[in-house]
Amino acid sequence: MTMPAQPSLVKPALRRRAFLRSQMRNIAPFVTLIALVAFFWVASPSFATMDNVANILTQISVAGIMAVGLTFVILCAEIDLSFAAIANAAGIVVAYFTAQASYVNVHNIPLPGGVAIVLAIVASAILGLVNAFGLTVIGLPSFIMTLAMMQIAAGICALLVRGQIVYAVPDLVKELGAGSIGGVPWIVIVLAIFLLVGHIVLTYTRFGRYVYMVGGNREAAEYSGVNVNRVLAAVLVISAVCAGVAGMLGVAHFGSAQQNEFDGYLLDAIAAVVVGGTSLFGGRGGIGNTIIGLCVLGVLNNGLDHVQIDSFLKILIRGLILLAALIINVYAQNLRSGAVQEAE
Amino acid sequence: MIAPEESPGAGTRLRMESISKSFGGVTALRDVDFELGPGQIHGLVGENGAGKSTLMKIIAGVHTTYQGRMLVEGREVRFGSARDALDAGIGMVHQELSVVPYLTVAENVYLGKQPTRMGMIDWKTMEKGASAQLRNLGIDVNPRTIIGDLPIGLQQLIELARVLFSGARIIILDEPTSALSPPEVRKLFEVLEGVRQSGRSVIFISHFLDDILSISDMVTVFRNGRRIVTERKANIDKTWVIEQMIGKGHEDIEESYTGAIALSSEPTGTAVLSARDLCFGRAFSNVSFEARAGEVLGIYGFMGCGQIELSRVLFGKLTPNAGALAVNGSDVKLKNTAGARRAGIALVPESRRSMLFYQEPVFKNISISSLGRIAKLWLKPRIEKRISEEQAKDLNIRPPNVANLLGNLSGGNQQKVALAKWLTYRPGVLILSEPTRGMDVGAKDDVVKIVRKLRDEGMAIIVISAEPETVLALADRILVMKKGRIVHEFANETISKDGLLEVA
Repeated sequence: MTMPAQPSLVKPALRRRAFLRSQMRNIAPFVTLIALVAFFWVASPSFATMDNVANILTQISVAGIMAVGLTFVILCAEIDLSFAAIANAAGIVVAYFTAQASYVNVHNIPLPGGVAIVLAIVASAILGLVNAFGLTVIGLPSFIMTLAMMQIAAGICALLVRGQIVYAVPDLVKELGAGSIGGVPWIVIVLAIFLLVGHIVLTYTRFGRYVYMVGGNREAAEYSGVNVNRVLAAVLVISAVCAGVAGMLGVAHFGSAQQNEFDGYLLDAIAAVVVGGTSLFGGRGGIGNTIIGLCVLGVLNNGLDHVQIDSFLKILIRGLILLAALIINVYAQNLRSGAVQEAE
Repeated sequence: MIAPEESPGAGTRLRMESISKSFGGVTALRDVDFELGPGQIHGLVGENGAGKSTLMKIIAGVHTTYQGRMLVEGREVRFGSARDALDAGIGMVHQELSVVPYLTVAENVYLGKQPTRMGMIDWKTMEKGASAQLRNLGIDVNPRTIIGDLPIGLQQLIELARVLFSGARIIILDEPTSALSPPEVRKLFEVLEGVRQSGRSVIFISHFLDDILSISDMVTVFRNGRRIVTERKANIDKTWVIEQMIGKGHEDIEESYTGAIALSSEPTGTAVLSARDLCFGRAFSNVSFEARAGEVLGIYGFMGCGQIELSRVLFGKLTPNAGALAVNGSDVKLKNTAGARRAGIALVPESRRSMLFYQEPVFKNISISSLGRIAKLWLKPRIEKRISEEQAKDLNIRPPNVANLLGNLSGGNQQKVALAKWLTYRPGVLILSEPTRGMDVGAKDDVVKIVRKLRDEGMAIIVISAEPETVLALADRILVMKKGRIVHEFANETISKDGLLEVA
């Protein structure tokens, strides 16, 4: 009982610094976003237009829906490497159960659109459950389990389409993925709904609290009588289902389903979550951070197309930005634990 | 047996003169003299915090700043590191073994100095050498065995062998018998006999007075940072040693339970939690007891006697190999801690770190265990805060603002938050592991009051501790654990600390 009970005695300047340090992970991505927008605004006249804003939003929507589920996983201090492959599988499953044009050489099973959609979502949930089983029952690290699942889901895709490309998806999926209402693409609306629901679940429900507590101190959660394994299983299933929806809409968005269609999104979604400032060590961050991360990534990808730059150099630049974000992420964690220790 | 060492062991092997050591104002050693002769096994006893470990760490070069002189074989030394001590012929076998479990016996014996041939490890020489050296000590083991597959007792002997082969002439053994079965202890003593005959010196630290008295030549007792007495083994017995350790209350003002304490348990209370023949690995076996409503059951035992594992099994964190648990008369199988919570069993572990969320506000720490009752789906922060504020008031948590980050509270207040978590939940059985460890007197008093109040309200409470004072201050009935078994029960009788130590 050595702590003085009067916080007013602590110097305000010190408190302000401690606050800034603890908020580093939220401030840094925001500053990055503003800096990028300012840079491209000046560098390219075609960047800051309403059309382009709509472009950016559409471009981030598939990765964004995946990132919502991934945010849950990373908040628990776990990782999912299989969601892009699961998205691919869900997209192919929904196409597999839809009647294809006669020239598509796939022996598929046409079913009513609603059934095909349900089957695709169930398939992705099952793959998520398998991830959860490996993690919680067998005790594999999520990194290894989902790495294996990445291959398994890719294998399912390969078996279903056998190297072919399929085009047709149920009308509902087609509308949500490629259509728009009043000029706003449906897929952006779907992304907004996913982000909103994700945020509400994480912030206002008991399950959301458990996610943060399990990520913050897993041992303490266990000693508080929280069923840690059930929480971990749930986040992996959530991640898989989000990926499934993203995969279906992505197929409609791009107009076709094929092997390895979403491989690039693995890095994009992870980058969005981490660049946004959600801690890789769990317990800190949230959907708000993921939104900023998505914007950073979207602006960066889109903006690089608006300036004169070697297109091969872009890949390197993206890598460097991601590295910088990772450094800030780890650095912010250290600052924060430093701040807590100082206060102790 | 072992070849006798080169240097003629005349005079004193190790001599410590008026050693004092303090840690930031807290004195750990006051003016301690200590002497160790060649071919001597010197037993060191004293309660936790009496200063034994501090002295040993000075000898082994871990603590490098202290007052006083230290002479090894007549030459004054001042070690700058553990490496220096090793070079001077001082080796230590810690309670936590430092063997590499995935390597073979031979590799462990030669760790860090494997014989090589043309830059490659010379396996043949190494295995032959290890085998021969171990046989010298009377240890017959295949040098190619992976050491982790061997019983603990054998692993310990091999570590001892390594220390011997490294050329140590002074060997410090810290609690070597706590994890050993009786035959393993006998084997260790046989080996130590050989070590003694070779002229090397051994310092033997242990809480097990029987073990100390059966192997040592000399016994030194520590209390409150002072060396109280050194005596030949032949002149003393266990009762005398216990008396010296506790000091009959005439040294400092510190409260010591030397007087008789009357245990009064209520046999009328119903059994809330009953354990039947619980076994868990090597940690404990055939543990049976009942925790009754309105009673504080104390479980006392030295560190490493299996009481920590027992608390984990009772809370569903570890799964027992055999035996059964029943809550209110019906058998339960605990799959995890959530299952234990639902069955009405709660645990406050000995380390606060493992049950608190330092980066979260106090109220989230308090409400987490009861969240299922407060909120089915949607969180109700206002109710959480109200409940937490009540707890903060009841337990006198300072500062009382429950929106504060937990990390900003002092240690004693954090401990209260850990308790508040379960008080909000109201379990049928509350297990407290080392509830007063590291607390000042005021905070200890608070804990005693809280526990008494809960007991009077009809909760069954189990207090698990390696500190006799804690158990004596809180318990209505005491079970004594020793090397994984319950060896004694004190109920409805008058006991003292001596009596408790006598059976442990």
